[in-house]
Amino acid sequence: MSYKVTEEGNISTVHLDGEIDMDVTEKAKEIIMPLIEAKKEVHLNLKEVQYMDSSGISVLIESHQKATELGTKVVLKEISKSVLKVIMMAKLEQILNLD
Amino acid sequence: MNVAIKSITEQRDFVVSSSSLKEVRSFSREVFEKVNINQDLKDELVLAIAEAAQNIVKHAYQGEDTDDKMEIKISLEKGHLEIGFFDKGRPVEEKNVRHRKIDDIKPGGLGTFFIQQIMDAVVFKEGEKPWINHLVLTKNLNS
Repeated sequence: MSYKVTEEGNISTVHLDGEIDMDVTEKAKEIIMPLIEAKKEVHLNLKEVQYMDSSGISVLIESHQKATELGTKVVLKEISKSVLKVIMMAKLEQILNLD
Repeated sequence: MNVAIKSITEQRDFVVSSSSLKEVRSFSREVFEKVNINQDLKDELVLAIAEAAQNIVKHAYQGEDTDDKMEIKISLEKGHLEIGFFDKGRPVEEKNVRHRKIDDIKPGGLGTFFIQQIMDAVVFKEGEKPWINHLVLTKNLNS
């Protein structure tokens, strides 16, 4: 997994790339959580994520919950077909902010 | 769906580690490339296999560093798919393996939920020596 972060005003956009599994979830959290803790609105661009498993979905849930707790939000942008399928399999499409 | 495939049996060993999961997916993709099923189903089967392998790392070995290997065996005969997982970790008791409730939004327990969504049956067996655990996932690909 690789990533790039861009900033515009109070919005931080994290562009994730590659496959997100248990092996990279800590790295993903290290990127995303400090932005949420800084009360940024975080956009996760998932266009280039070709694979995500339950560990990756757990990162999305934790990020969403942390953001809600801190009064900000995480928005999932340009979700790839394979990631959307897993989000729907987890029945989270009504819970997470999908754009 | 007509699977239109000869029988396949392929197996491979992997070090029990989260860093092996990518290899597990590659192996699974290679096997399913030989089977005439649609890409969505292939992706689902790869996910189920990777989730089961992840459960071995997470639960049977509780994330500990080890040199132990796990074995994954994929067999297809007349459209009946059977995937076996063998490991030497802590014995897994089926009653302790639960997926999260569907309206309980929390991280964790999703892997088992995915496996159960994708496969027709999930059976835990006692492994024959030298294995401790033997998990069998099955799916009829003809339906």
